[in-house]
Amino acid sequence: MNVAYYAESPADEAALKILTEAILGRQTEPVIHVGLRYRSWPTVREALRSVFLQLHYGTVAEGFVLVVDSNGSPSHSPTHEQPNARDPQCRLCQLRRIVEEAQQQARPRPHQAPLKIAIGLAVPAIEAWLLCGADPHVSEATWVSGLNEGHTPYTKASLKNQLYGTTHPSLPIETEAMVAAASRLAQNLEGLTNLFPGGFGTLQSSLKSW
Amino acid sequence: MFESIKFQNFKALRDTTLPLSRFTLIIGPNGSGKSTALNAFLAMRQPAARNVNQLRTAGVNEEQPVVLAAKWTEPQNDFLVTVQWAKTGVQQLSSPGRQDNPRKALNGARMFSLDAGAIALPVQLQPQIELLPNGTNLAGVLDRLRDQNPERFESLNKELMRWIPEFDKILFETPGPGQRALALRTREGQYTIKAVDLSQGTLIAIALLTIGYLPYPPTIVCLEEPDHGLHPRLLRDVRDALYRLAYPEGSGEKREPVQVIATTHNPYFLDLFRDHPDEIVLAEKVGLESKFSRLSDRKDLDEILGDAPLSEVWYSGVLGGVPAGT
Repeated sequence: MNVAYYAESPADEAALKILTEAILGRQTEPVIHVGLRYRSWPTVREALRSVFLQLHYGTVAEGFVLVVDSNGSPSHSPTHEQPNARDPQCRLCQLRRIVEEAQQQARPRPHQAPLKIAIGLAVPAIEAWLLCGADPHVSEATWVSGLNEGHTPYTKASLKNQLYGTTHPSLPIETEAMVAAASRLAQNLEGLTNLFPGGFGTLQSSLKSW
Repeated sequence: MFESIKFQNFKALRDTTLPLSRFTLIIGPNGSGKSTALNAFLAMRQPAARNVNQLRTAGVNEEQPVVLAAKWTEPQNDFLVTVQWAKTGVQQLSSPGRQDNPRKALNGARMFSLDAGAIALPVQLQPQIELLPNGTNLAGVLDRLRDQNPERFESLNKELMRWIPEFDKILFETPGPGQRALALRTREGQYTIKAVDLSQGTLIAIALLTIGYLPYPPTIVCLEEPDHGLHPRLLRDVRDALYRLAYPEGSGEKREPVQVIATTHNPYFLDLFRDHPDEIVLAEKVGLESKFSRLSDRKDLDEILGDAPLSEVWYSGVLGGVPAGT
């Protein structure tokens, strides 16, 4: 299956590909050989429409996978799935809206099925997903309850330190650690689904519907 | 590690202190003293090579001395190295404490302002060949690395090929007796591309990686615009090469950290440091003077930044460090 991954770094893309293939139960082929990259939350939001349209018209992509970090923004909740119940602060809801608007404006793809979309929200960062099973305290619920009480139970820096052994990992070290963690999780996705139901569970549901 | 340098009457830096970390990125308008600050370590290393008239801030009374005071911090040893240039001559002062490490660090400080033309030049081989500030001698330094540290050279080669995948090997040519010149081999077709025919960005990338992979790097590396000539997608790798020096543990290196101080005007490069505002210093021009401040010292930083890219907020001017009248 031809899938385009839109990620912040090659390390993120490698981990995302492993998790996606584990959910789909099949291999995926990259569509854009140089990789699709964004630099930060505001830039992914600004470029997403263009990226979608290029994939839609200009490639043989069958699927499109995108995961962003939530940082301090609200996590995605099942209530956001209800009609007209999207949270304008939720990054996943915002990205879905941008894609849906682009889909509505786009002409049909010639000789190809519509592009399938799966968007995830890593709370607060993809390192949290990858620590699932390694650190029992890291979960969406822990993060959300911490934020509600006015503190952060951990930081992006502390998550990096746990996963990479340093807050300043090089790309090869980051990639190695992410691939190892994603491969471990791919053997049993249940924990990830249970501990990150909003951000990972939603991605999983979208991918399962492909 | 040097924690700060205090400047008095030093060119554009009339009265300010530059806070330093293991890695420090200075941003600010042209002429705001960024390069002057990088040169301070060299001035302290060889104070007699400069005289007070070359260094004194424009308009300052000639009776006033030029003073640089670098504060060194290590466990159970805070040490102040002071150099004073006056009409009567140069004076070096030291506070009580152990001065071996700070002196060693100062002596090992090197400044780089890489120039692609200089990097591409063939070099005459010498036993203790060292990379010069503009990148001259790169072919000799790499040749020595290949001979004396073949595993490290191979790691560098591999990393360079990850950065620039159209090439697969660093090659050496002998244009004359005792000389070396660089070349790269293309992955497709295995063609040899001489250094003089490589792009500016490719040459800068090789030089940056070489600094990062030196077995005995300088103790302090000062770099003018390391992002110069490089594609934005390579900037993460440039940051990694500099972090390799400053945070060796993050790259699996087992050596002492190198203190790195760099400057940039590149918003994409700046954004790579958003998670580390303690590593960013703003240079601000106030009239003829310049002042430094650490970004993380701003109490309302998180609130001000919100979700916005750091570069956009910098560009807007609300953080300072932008040219007046623009």
